[in-house]
Amino acid sequence: MSAVLVVHGGAWAIPDELAEASVDGVKTAARKGFVVLRNGGSALDAVEAAVKSLEDNTVFNAGHGATLNIDGEVELDAIIMDGRTLNCGAVSSVKNIANPVSLARAVMEKTSHIMLTGKGANLFAESVGFSTVPTDTLVSEFERKEWERHKTYVTGVLEDFNTQWAHDTVGAVAVDSSGNVACATSTGGIRNKMVGRVGDSPVIGCGAYADNFSGAVSCTGHGESILKVTLAKLILSHVEQGESVADASQLALQYMGERVQGAGGAITVSPSGKWAATFTTQRMAWAAAENDVLWSGLDPNERKKENLN
Amino acid sequence: MIVVRGAGMMPVVVVHGGAVQVPEERAEITISGVCSAARSGYLVLEEGGSSLDAVVEAVVQMENSPYFSAGCGSVLNVKGEVEMDAIVMDGKTLGSGSVSAVRDIANPVQLARLVMEKTSHAFLTAEGASKFARSVGVPEVSQESLITEYSRMFWKKNLVPDANPVECQMEKMGTVGAVAVDKDGNVACATSTGGMPNKMEGRVGDTPCVGSGGYADNQSGAVSATGHGEANMRVTLSRLILFHMEQGQSAEAASDLGLAYLKSRLGALGGVVTVDPQGNWTSRFSTQQMPWAAAQNDTLHYGLNSGEHFRRSFSEQH
Repeated sequence: MSAVLVVHGGAWAIPDELAEASVDGVKTAARKGFVVLRNGGSALDAVEAAVKSLEDNTVFNAGHGATLNIDGEVELDAIIMDGRTLNCGAVSSVKNIANPVSLARAVMEKTSHIMLTGKGANLFAESVGFSTVPTDTLVSEFERKEWERHKTYVTGVLEDFNTQWAHDTVGAVAVDSSGNVACATSTGGIRNKMVGRVGDSPVIGCGAYADNFSGAVSCTGHGESILKVTLAKLILSHVEQGESVADASQLALQYMGERVQGAGGAITVSPSGKWAATFTTQRMAWAAAENDVLWSGLDPNERKKENLN
Repeated sequence: MIVVRGAGMMPVVVVHGGAVQVPEERAEITISGVCSAARSGYLVLEEGGSSLDAVVEAVVQMENSPYFSAGCGSVLNVKGEVEMDAIVMDGKTLGSGSVSAVRDIANPVQLARLVMEKTSHAFLTAEGASKFARSVGVPEVSQESLITEYSRMFWKKNLVPDANPVECQMEKMGTVGAVAVDKDGNVACATSTGGMPNKMEGRVGDTPCVGSGGYADNQSGAVSATGHGEANMRVTLSRLILFHMEQGQSAEAASDLGLAYLKSRLGALGGVVTVDPQGNWTSRFSTQQMPWAAAQNDTLHYGLNSGEHFRRSFSEQH
């Protein structure tokens, strides 16, 4: 059974100036995650490694380079889920943590809970030895400038999302050689969001879901719309009804567009190694590693192929 | 349960007061609480209010009562403090409002509704949720006003090493919730809780997570869930039940399928109240008890122990 890893770096109208860095970023993350699978590591280890790579990359809105809330602070959300056990870990509104996906994993593995928020999440991080990083190290020059620019006028969430400069979430899904699936999603949320705003990313079934019986999904896009349709779970319900991962993703995203006028993207993998990267936004930076091949794309219907090595 | 046949639909409000083991001496007051909440919710419908108005009214009543773990009477976190979660969802728009880990307000379900209606977001947490509450004039209340002798005693008991909070929760009261359908066929749900007894600070359970603690969709129905929060989340219990209804299962069959899956996949127990857009409704639970009540037409339905279904006409006083 061959392992597969798919990553995304956000579904939005990625401007040309960021296109190359975004695609490079997802390819790097896919490579890093796939090395884990190649060495016999679990899907869970692989998605964590891939998302950490994306969090460390300031091009993406997660960890380093995350967008700022209305008070100019960084509040991070993340989730990780194990398809074998349905165990899950999530954090919302954590501060000063460089890799929220790893903190989410610690919640899953070191507590009897699934989700920790705010100060409680930060206290837990401290208690298990996560070092805190000053906010400044997470804030990129670009994001600071964007925050200042937005301070001067009020924009609705949809407008922000549909503008050229809205960054987005990162995520990964994988199936390992034992047929176990896993997913992870991480984000700084929406630029200038209200303090304490939580989007779809850390909400199980919405920003992500993984189940060995159907597959794993990580979503991106307009968070409030994804919540309305529980997008990750919706995609997998179609898979359970017999649809391919590509058709399931397409159907669900289409429904989200028609029912609630929301756009987004999803990466999906089945326990048998089928995968899809689907989006209804203008662009989505994504990459998939399978056998010796690295696939990647940015524009609709684009699929570039290169050797993994 | 009542099955509505034919073209007519019947508005209804169904409420639950947690899939928990209610102490003998509290049974009567707990049943009285859910009955009163269902009745108040139904009055809202009779006066032309929406299903959203009705579920919020029902849940507010139970938050205000010290006998449920929501608002006043909430179980305490490990530090002995109250942190509350809540959700409302509108089946017409699929819009929802959620709050998690709020400390200083009396009615989290109302704040959740304000999040939905007055912001472009769907979910606010902790200090951000409190900040928003102040900004829209929701009064700040003290922790003391939310903490009861009972919840404090229960917290102390659970501090003892080797105490098993999950098991202990079975001795107490739990999450509250409601579902409703109004005369226009709009469904809604609301759920509110103090969470798990002695939970870690900042722990968020199923309640405010859309698809887990509740879900509402005019095309299929509405659910409010209770039980072991983490287990409900892992199967997204509310959404799971509605997937079954979308595939043609009745409210009762779908709820049973959801609860059966919770048990077979995770070994967990829980409870739900479920309604479809025609007014068919059910209250199902795999625990031994779940106080629940429903108001439809002239009848008040209620129960506590597995298998119970009492009826009383509204003209009767209780």
